[in-house]
Amino acid sequence: MRPLWQIPRNSLFWLLLSVVISIALHLEHLPPWVALAGIVATLWQIQLYRERWRQPGRLLKWSLAGACAGGLFLHYGRMNGLEPMVALLFSGYSLKLLELHHKRDALVLIYLSYLIIILQSLFSTTIVSSFLVLIALLPVTAALVAMHGGAENTRPVAALRTGLAMLLQAIPLMLVMFIVMPRIGSLWAIPQKTSGTTGVSDSMSPGDMTRLGRSGKIAFRVEFDGPIPAQSQLYWRGLVFSGFDGRRWDQQGPWGYNDGKFLQWSDQGLEAWDSVIKRRGEPLSYRVTLEATNSPWLFALSTPLPQSSTVALSRDFRLVSKNPVNAKLQYSVKSWLNNQLEPESLVGWRHKLELALPSGFNPKTREIAEQWREQTPDTLALINRLLALYNQEFIYTLRPPALGKHTVDEFLWGTKKGFCEFYASSFVFFMRAAGVPARVVVGYQGGERHPTENYLLVHQYDAHAWAEVWIQGSGWLRVDPTAAVAPERIEMSFADLFSEQADFLSASPFALERLRHIQWLNNLRLKLDSLDYAWAKWVLGYENVQNDFLLSLLGAINPQRIALFLLLAGGIALLPIFIMLYLSRDKNTRDELDRLFLQYCSRLEKMGLPRRPGEGARDFAQRISRCAPGLAEAVEHLTGIYESARYGEEGGTEVKAFKTALKGFKPSREELLSST
Amino acid sequence: MIKRWRQVFNKRYQQWITRRLPPVKKIRLDNRKLFIFPTRAGFVFFTLLVLLWLIATNFENNLIFAFTFLLTSLFIIGVFHTFLNLSGLQIEGGRATPGFAGQSAEFEYLLSQTGNRQRYSIAFSHPGVDPTVVSLAGNEIKAIYLSIPVKKRGWFQAQRITVKSVYPLGLLKVWTYLQFDTRALVYPRVIDAPLPTQMAAGQGDKPPPQNYVAHNSGSEDFVGLEKYRLGESLHHIAWKQFAREQGLQTKHYADAIDDELWLDWDSLPGMDSEARLSRLCAWALRFSEVPQPYGLRLPDLELAPGTGRAHRDAVLRELALFGQPKEVGEQA
Repeated sequence: MRPLWQIPRNSLFWLLLSVVISIALHLEHLPPWVALAGIVATLWQIQLYRERWRQPGRLLKWSLAGACAGGLFLHYGRMNGLEPMVALLFSGYSLKLLELHHKRDALVLIYLSYLIIILQSLFSTTIVSSFLVLIALLPVTAALVAMHGGAENTRPVAALRTGLAMLLQAIPLMLVMFIVMPRIGSLWAIPQKTSGTTGVSDSMSPGDMTRLGRSGKIAFRVEFDGPIPAQSQLYWRGLVFSGFDGRRWDQQGPWGYNDGKFLQWSDQGLEAWDSVIKRRGEPLSYRVTLEATNSPWLFALSTPLPQSSTVALSRDFRLVSKNPVNAKLQYSVKSWLNNQLEPESLVGWRHKLELALPSGFNPKTREIAEQWREQTPDTLALINRLLALYNQEFIYTLRPPALGKHTVDEFLWGTKKGFCEFYASSFVFFMRAAGVPARVVVGYQGGERHPTENYLLVHQYDAHAWAEVWIQGSGWLRVDPTAAVAPERIEMSFADLFSEQADFLSASPFALERLRHIQWLNNLRLKLDSLDYAWAKWVLGYENVQNDFLLSLLGAINPQRIALFLLLAGGIALLPIFIMLYLSRDKNTRDELDRLFLQYCSRLEKMGLPRRPGEGARDFAQRISRCAPGLAEAVEHLTGIYESARYGEEGGTEVKAFKTALKGFKPSREELLSST
Repeated sequence: MIKRWRQVFNKRYQQWITRRLPPVKKIRLDNRKLFIFPTRAGFVFFTLLVLLWLIATNFENNLIFAFTFLLTSLFIIGVFHTFLNLSGLQIEGGRATPGFAGQSAEFEYLLSQTGNRQRYSIAFSHPGVDPTVVSLAGNEIKAIYLSIPVKKRGWFQAQRITVKSVYPLGLLKVWTYLQFDTRALVYPRVIDAPLPTQMAAGQGDKPPPQNYVAHNSGSEDFVGLEKYRLGESLHHIAWKQFAREQGLQTKHYADAIDDELWLDWDSLPGMDSEARLSRLCAWALRFSEVPQPYGLRLPDLELAPGTGRAHRDAVLRELALFGQPKEVGEQA
């Protein structure tokens, strides 16, 4: 059966190419058989077009549709969520390919191609993949153009060229819209991707931080409004661990507080407990661009106040995101490095929690801690005594020996070799055993200053754990036992310290980081990173800088200015198109001679002697000679030169001759009348 | 009630269109003459844009915003491209080939442009006619023809033709309605009838009327073919035509006593004037095929016998315009 309507050959070509490209783009998160079905449908359509194969029967199509839906359900076990939705869209898309009976079928396919290709941006937001999406829109547009080019316009390349020109012309206008169009937050809850946390996790056992120390991935980037503070100031607080089960440190939920809600949103006023923070001096303003972590906790310097509406300050003075961070997230923060947290008193239940120790673990440490406490009653002196012990006898290494049941005992009085979490864990345990409320804080420390751009790169290997102790009158005090063992870890960047060690970046064997000692490669790495950061800041997280950017652009944000800007910028964006389109209308590709001849014709037309469509120069001259004998001589003369210029050997000189002759040709009414 | 409103609206609309686009000989399309509006596919495209915008907003994904804006811009750019596919096009009403009532008259339109824009897929249509779709290269002059059905004899002016284009995206259509002051002459409906046995010749004062007998028995001038009737001589059957599966026909010859042969209004008594004209028309066509001079005699007019195409056209013209004002038509 041959369909009544047949898609133009060039349109089909681009359409099938679009299908193949969209399959390729989504290959990573599609069940293989869905991709395969798409390829089979493409081949089938090719064979249909060549009239080699027959149209699949209605029964076959319906059973295929059923099989797809069932297969997807079996594959995913659910139908909500992004990936099943895209896969379902894909199966419908492939099946639609088998029934191109009407023009609207082809249009549906083209629109679906646009949708599916653009949806790729939900899965990957890198520069490369966005560029691929942009490229992939080209064949779809070409298919759309080819559909409407008519029967005489069957070359695929012509449609591609038109599509390309239109897309390029659309880009300036898109930029204007991107800059100005307001972004409103999500309208309803969307199914979140569920995948494992990357980076710092919500618990800490010995070895966890060491593992992160081997990864060269970017954790986040920070841009300060002023100069970047000293390396030793950069403690990026992430999570606070108060619970310890002998091996693992973890968070002890939002309970234990009775002075307001656990989370304080920046747009909802201050909670009562905000007053327990004493902020002093000028705050640091900065913007963090966090890579996807799939978890809600964020990182900031102490003590932070979030400036973005989707970020909250929690009761334990860290930042929390509204949704798990599934894609790059940008947030603005103000931090007061000079601060006191809860200097007066700890909430009762929390006080107990920060002193709690699991029974049956690390008996030796508990015993020594109690001894030390009696010998050194002053808390600060006690801390310094312990730090001095670390400093004298301990080794900071990426390859710590494994620990048994009594982790702290074995580490403090045995192996004496460890990475930051060993020090933080043993320090907090010791302090609690000595009756000082203490907790573990994890996050990142330091960062790499970009040499040319004013921002800081924080890598996964900058992950760090340290301690906070609570002292009556001073509040929570940061103590970093690692700094006592290896002060250079805090002073220099981690990479500078460890780049010679074999284990450094062993989890990222192909990272450019490993080659940081080769100057030009290191420069290249940093260049690429600044590009990536600009992408994250200006594109992926544009809504965070939109306000400031528009403000700097317009001076003030009000409807009039926005409208004016839209008009101006839109006009400027459309200007190239105007020029292109309108110039090409009058673009003179006809040679000089044609132009002169048209002049000649228009002079005669003004005399009421228009040239008829399709009338040759000679016929025209003869007709004029008949109607207006007064002009006959001049017209015959000009036509003679025109013909020899057009058809003769020496075109160039004759064209000039025609030009001079034309100058003297000024037909007047009198001449016209003298004839009649 | 609604029907009346619609009638009133249609009338107003027609008046407005006529004011805006009066009948012309030649027209250059520009923004005052062109209309532009999204097509149905364009509205579906809007839906796609809204869907993409919702996805972008809900997933707070700026890349999807960017691509949504790109497609929106593509649509806006498309307005210019679509518009310029028609703008600047010159259309001139060309020749109108006469036709017979009940058949169609062919109208010619000449397309040209001063620039060198390549124009694609421009559809010309007229009510009741399948659209003609053409492309136009830069500096090209192209003629297109619309065969428009005609019903009544006399002067026929084509209705507004619609010139429409959706190129390049199909999301927008640009169109205009054009009325050209070209008219076609419509000849009477052709109703063939057997030739009467007697046709008046000469004028009333020229007795006796010469007999003209159309028959198939003589050996004189061949007049034409007629359907075979039972009893006719087998000698006169046109076997060639039979072999071409045109049915059994017999050759008819006329012994013209006089070279002057008259198609006479009065030879068809008892018929109304349209029926007479139709038959005279058919006969004129028949005689114009053979080298037989023939004249036309109508109640108020007489055309001297003659032969050839020009004579035939003159005869047909008189038949077409019988009883109608005979203003000079545009028959360039």
